[in-house]
Amino acid sequence: MFTPGSKYFLGLTGLSIVSAVLYMIFVNPNDLGAIALFGVAISGALIAGFTLLNRDGDVWSAQEATEASAPSVPASVWPITFALGLALVVLGMATQPIVFIIGVGVLVGAGIEWTIQDWADRASADAGYNSFARQRAIGALEYPGLAAIGAGAIAVLFSRIMLGVSKNAATLIFILVGIVILAVGVAAAYKPGFSGKNTIRATVVGALVLLIAGISFTATGERKELAKAEEEDHFSAVHRECGEEKGYFDKLANNKVSSRSGIAATIVLENGKLSAQLVGIPVKVESVTIARANSTSVLFRNKDSKDHRLVVNLGTQKVGTTDVVEELGTCTQLTGKNQENVLTLKIAKPAKAGEQYSFTVPGVTGEIQLVVP
Amino acid sequence: MDSLTPSQSVRRSIGASFAGISAALFLSSCAKNAPQDIFVPKGDNAQKIDTLQNIVFPIAGIVGVLVLGLAGYIFYKFRDQGQAIPSQSHGKPVVEIVLTIVPALILSVVGVFTVRTIFDLAKTEDTQMVINVTGQQWWWEYDYPAQSSMGINQPIISSGQLVIPAGTNVLLRETSRDVIHSYWIPALNGKKDAVPGRIHLLRLQADKPGIYAGQCTEFCGLSHANMRMEAVALSKEDFAKWVANQQKVYTGPAEATLAKEGEGVFLNQCVRCHQVNGIKDASGKAIISAPDENVWAGAAPNLTHLMTRNTFAGAKFDLLNKDCRSTVWSAASEEFGAKYLSGVSESCLNQKDLRAWLRNAPAMKPMYADPAKLEPMGGKYRGMPNLNLTEDDIDKLVAYLLTLK
Repeated sequence: MFTPGSKYFLGLTGLSIVSAVLYMIFVNPNDLGAIALFGVAISGALIAGFTLLNRDGDVWSAQEATEASAPSVPASVWPITFALGLALVVLGMATQPIVFIIGVGVLVGAGIEWTIQDWADRASADAGYNSFARQRAIGALEYPGLAAIGAGAIAVLFSRIMLGVSKNAATLIFILVGIVILAVGVAAAYKPGFSGKNTIRATVVGALVLLIAGISFTATGERKELAKAEEEDHFSAVHRECGEEKGYFDKLANNKVSSRSGIAATIVLENGKLSAQLVGIPVKVESVTIARANSTSVLFRNKDSKDHRLVVNLGTQKVGTTDVVEELGTCTQLTGKNQENVLTLKIAKPAKAGEQYSFTVPGVTGEIQLVVP
Repeated sequence: MDSLTPSQSVRRSIGASFAGISAALFLSSCAKNAPQDIFVPKGDNAQKIDTLQNIVFPIAGIVGVLVLGLAGYIFYKFRDQGQAIPSQSHGKPVVEIVLTIVPALILSVVGVFTVRTIFDLAKTEDTQMVINVTGQQWWWEYDYPAQSSMGINQPIISSGQLVIPAGTNVLLRETSRDVIHSYWIPALNGKKDAVPGRIHLLRLQADKPGIYAGQCTEFCGLSHANMRMEAVALSKEDFAKWVANQQKVYTGPAEATLAKEGEGVFLNQCVRCHQVNGIKDASGKAIISAPDENVWAGAAPNLTHLMTRNTFAGAKFDLLNKDCRSTVWSAASEEFGAKYLSGVSESCLNQKDLRAWLRNAPAMKPMYADPAKLEPMGGKYRGMPNLNLTEDDIDKLVAYLLTLK
């Protein structure tokens, strides 16, 4: 007899085989996609065999079921939910893609729930047993699914709040929320009177606060600095302004954790002198070699008392067909004392004969040679 | 002989298959020609790993056989045969305590040796030479920054074969241009991932001159299995000769030769992606290739001094024919340098594979190089496309490539 576990995996196997065949017919018969789908099918078949052989490794068995003499069919919410999903899909086709995607999600979820509910309702004449059977069959999908939706909703709502309030307020809120969660947890664990209904009350209040605040801040938008940055195109990959910047944006970029991740070299300005350190090489070097046409990050560390920026000089080129020659290069933002900024470079070609790539700091003599072989 | 019942027949078939697979696996460990054998270290770092695995593997093997054997026995013995469900009980404290403490002790012993080895392999203070290694689909690029202690005054760029001095602590600074790759020369050290945007460090040291094979060990797309590499260790004297040769200035082929005509074909076709340092066009202008405009990864192998290497196309194919390759690979360490440095002569060239590659590269190595299917990659190739060269062009190109020494 087929156990609930084996049904999952046999279903997965069948679906994977059908998908693989369709993929080979309609997409690409020689692609890795079909191999991956057949791999899933083989894995599913193997696990289905194991689960069949040992009854899901579980002592629960349909032997305990009462024979169905008359099906017990209670009212179900899934047909109307399925219809709602269908309506959202149709609406999404005419309006927004996001509505369509939500509709597909509702449709699939309700379809699965409806199928399992229908199967469980006919398992026996005992409604209690049927409910248990339904739970056994779908519980393993329902709980993680609901948890994922809940975690996603919390993340989205919380992020809206944090992006809406000022930086200082965000810090305070973060600390306060942590304290409240810890306090409720401790109370639930150690106070005999604080359990059950009190925990539910606290959770419901927290959820309502999160929901209302999240919706409110979604409506009011992000805090003004972020809105301004968006307006000035600071989040764009092509934003390469080396001129005078707004001070607060420069400071926002300094000393970020990301600056220290994945760097190939560190250029240090100290006592009016530039030096370079390469990852893995303990001594200071006078030139930095980076691979051609490859994104490479270089960290600028300013140990000087004044603000400085690191400039990378990438030779010159003529502007169009004119005789005007422009200097090529890019730079970091202004970097304060004992602060750092990262510069990511992708240089397609070696320097032209007679020219040399280099790192310099305006106002400071000396340079670090940049070699692109 | 009694006939078997269906269930006995199935059992016997499964048993015979299992025994056959086990025997094949066991016999494969007896292979004589296994250049990527992980139990034959040829350098200090690989020796450290070998010492560790000589401790860990027997322990892990015994535990593995015991656990899997017991699990298999229980699985078979108590399989579903329609029997009644046995009475259920929970826990036997003595068994649980023993089964917790024994694995913890075993893991502690293994952990001590493993952590010590990991820290030993991560040392960089004693580095004597640095090479930047960049992976891309499906080949490795090696660039040697200028380092006067090694006689390298100008950066050297190469591919396919990593050349290092024997008895020297070499530090590879690995990265990738496209997806994650993994660099592994089993005889010289363990594997290390090359990740886009990051620099990962890998120490190599070879005890003696020789050639050591490797393989990309992180699945990186269609031709992952064809992304190979070879590390060539030369004596310090021979390495100095290799460096001196790599830094020689380019001199084009003599006028009115087939090779000179080949240089013209190269300038028309190949130089769009492949760089030969110092090559100039007819007007004397230095040519810089533009692989970033044609190739997804933004780079193609630099072919300067191509014929000093023994491989091409991501080390999938040999530039040396079978006999000459065998001479180099089987050379004693004292003679190896001279044989390797002699490079690829016309009589030793593997004409068949090189010509087939020039004729239609995608037919030789699976690559996303169909001009009709480049839309997802913005019109750029992954790997070398079919250039539709004529047989005359191929003759000329082969003659020209043979001059790149």
